[in-house]
Amino acid sequence: MATPTLVFTSSDGTDITVDRDVAERSVLIKNMLEDLGETGEPIPIPNVNEAVLKKVIEWCTHHKNDPPSTGDDDDSRRKTTDIDEWDQKFMQVDQEMLFEIILAANYLDIKGLLDVGCKTVANMIKGKSPEEIRKTFNIQNDFTPEEEDQIRRENEWAEDR
Amino acid sequence: MTYPSPKRRRISQTSDYLSFLSDEVLLHILSYLPIPALLKCQRVSRRFHTLAGDSELWKRQYYSRWVRPRARRLPRVRRATPQLSRLEYSPKVSTWLDHSHLAREGSNTNWKKQYRLRHNWSKGICRVTAVELPQSPQPPILVQFCAGLVFVADSAHGLRVWHADNTNSCLASVPFTNATTQASIVPTSLKATYCSQQNVARIAVGFKSGCFSVYNMDIRALRLKLGLTYTTSTDRAITGMALSFPYILMVSQCNVLSLFGIQTINENSDHNPVELMEKAYILATLKAESILAPMSLSVRVAGSEIIASIAYSFYHIGCGWSIGVQELHFNRGGQQISSRLTTTVDCQYGAIPLRPSSRVSDEQQLSLSSDLYEWPTGPSILHRQPPTSISYSHPYLLTSHADNTLTVYLVVSTTTNLHVKGGQRLWGHTTSVAAVQVGDHGKAVSVSSRGDEIRIWELEPLISYFGTQRILEEKSIQVSPENKQCRKYENFGVLSGVSRCEVSGDQSSSLERSYELDGIRGCIGFDDERVLLLRERNIGNQLLELYDFT
Repeated sequence: MATPTLVFTSSDGTDITVDRDVAERSVLIKNMLEDLGETGEPIPIPNVNEAVLKKVIEWCTHHKNDPPSTGDDDDSRRKTTDIDEWDQKFMQVDQEMLFEIILAANYLDIKGLLDVGCKTVANMIKGKSPEEIRKTFNIQNDFTPEEEDQIRRENEWAEDR
Repeated sequence: MTYPSPKRRRISQTSDYLSFLSDEVLLHILSYLPIPALLKCQRVSRRFHTLAGDSELWKRQYYSRWVRPRARRLPRVRRATPQLSRLEYSPKVSTWLDHSHLAREGSNTNWKKQYRLRHNWSKGICRVTAVELPQSPQPPILVQFCAGLVFVADSAHGLRVWHADNTNSCLASVPFTNATTQASIVPTSLKATYCSQQNVARIAVGFKSGCFSVYNMDIRALRLKLGLTYTTSTDRAITGMALSFPYILMVSQCNVLSLFGIQTINENSDHNPVELMEKAYILATLKAESILAPMSLSVRVAGSEIIASIAYSFYHIGCGWSIGVQELHFNRGGQQISSRLTTTVDCQYGAIPLRPSSRVSDEQQLSLSSDLYEWPTGPSILHRQPPTSISYSHPYLLTSHADNTLTVYLVVSTTTNLHVKGGQRLWGHTTSVAAVQVGDHGKAVSVSSRGDEIRIWELEPLISYFGTQRILEEKSIQVSPENKQCRKYENFGVLSGVSRCEVSGDQSSSLERSYELDGIRGCIGFDDERVLLLRERNIGNQLLELYDFT
């Protein structure tokens, strides 16, 4: 028996065929299918372009047999920013793609992928000085030097010693 | 949500992609960061300053750093709630772990500030401010610390109040006057307590003449007013008081214990229809022959009963100086229901030394060889000298000793039984310990007799180790204001009408300062943010020191 499939239409108009169980890693899609039933028509994904959508599907395909996430915030999980090897390789993309994956995971409600994306960004922040963080992400420093100095002094208490 | 369309890609190398993310997603990212990284993020930009300072984010950090490790250690919590990941927000655990006061405030709690406070306590990091009080023509100067306010009583200036944050200006003062004789009145005992419902601090002052007054300080309006004065039949000085409004327990020089209630009478006068009058009435009095100083009085209201307790020291032939706890139960009408007595003697025999260090075994040998009476085994806690201070705040009973140690006991008071459990010597001080004070949230502060060593003790983990052979992980924390975090040695503030104390901020002079001081009058008190200490200088002046952990 053939695996049931769905068709996604990316924001740039490309149709991509996806196995249904892979597509259901997305809570958004899963709920939509439950609510509307399967129409057989292509599902438009207006916020995600072809390249990103393919990347997301690649992740979902690899993780389709993962146990469903427990859903609640578990602190032991938060403590660790360990990412498994496959995911690490998967996330070796340019920043633009990384953030588009995060946005897509957030929009499609794919918790596992969102976690991996956020952990990757957290790892990019860790151990950097504020100036290095700004440089890494091209963030505009909108503090006056006085303000910045004041915040630095306020936050001195937990500097690594 | 704005989203980078393919058309915007030509500026991709200089785009700030992170800022395209919603606050929710950014908070998700930040939730993976450790504290130092969070603090660095706060310096990146205004948006990051707000996000990385998010209270929920810090609440999570607070719980994972301070609450969960303790919850894991407590056996009864572990048994009761096997699903550890869910226990943290349940109110029961919160109470047990003394976070109820934070949880109650709900969304108003600034968790970053709380985390920092806790961090500073755990490291002993604080800023110290010292204020010199000139010698009063008639000593003593009495000091109490309550609700962030410093209350000072002496015969020359009466009762004065300062805010602990700002020792430069006196908030309010009331002179002590005697309408009939105009003679100066000497206060001998001072106690302050905070009533959260009315937002009022009650200050009881006991005098040498044997009478006492209760003052009310409206915290919001900063108004200090005399509530009542009661003249007792004796003329003996009141030496100790305990206050749990509307009840006052006091002891006078002749060892008479008295329990008073305070009644509010609504005076319906024409001019002041809402003016409330207060009146004290005696509930019970008894003479205690055998009570020896140091002692600690406390009064608490439990259900329909008022429990007055006196912890006092006495000499036991077997195990030296011991502590007796007498508990008197009264009903609301002042009728005595029961009186119970227990001592620490059994604990002193039965206690298991926490860590068989050389110091313990030396003492055990000493006790065995020098004991005139043959006991089956020597007491494991033996005090050859009376304790230098006793502090009892139910259920914790602590004594400080000249032999550099403290002893902690747990007082168990049920409807049928009163006994003392545990008994543990606490090491950490390197010189004689002059005073110890137990606070509200299971914390105790002790200070050495020269006042140069202040230690903070978390009592709850100590208690949970009673009766077990497990090695104690947590030791006390030494307060170290000279810590490099505290370069900000403040220019010492001046109490109005008080001479200025010139002490420069560098380490050497502060060290000298502690040596020129010849005594410590005791740890006056502490709250969640500060410790207040009164030192006596050899020239007779007194120095009030505030250790601020915020």
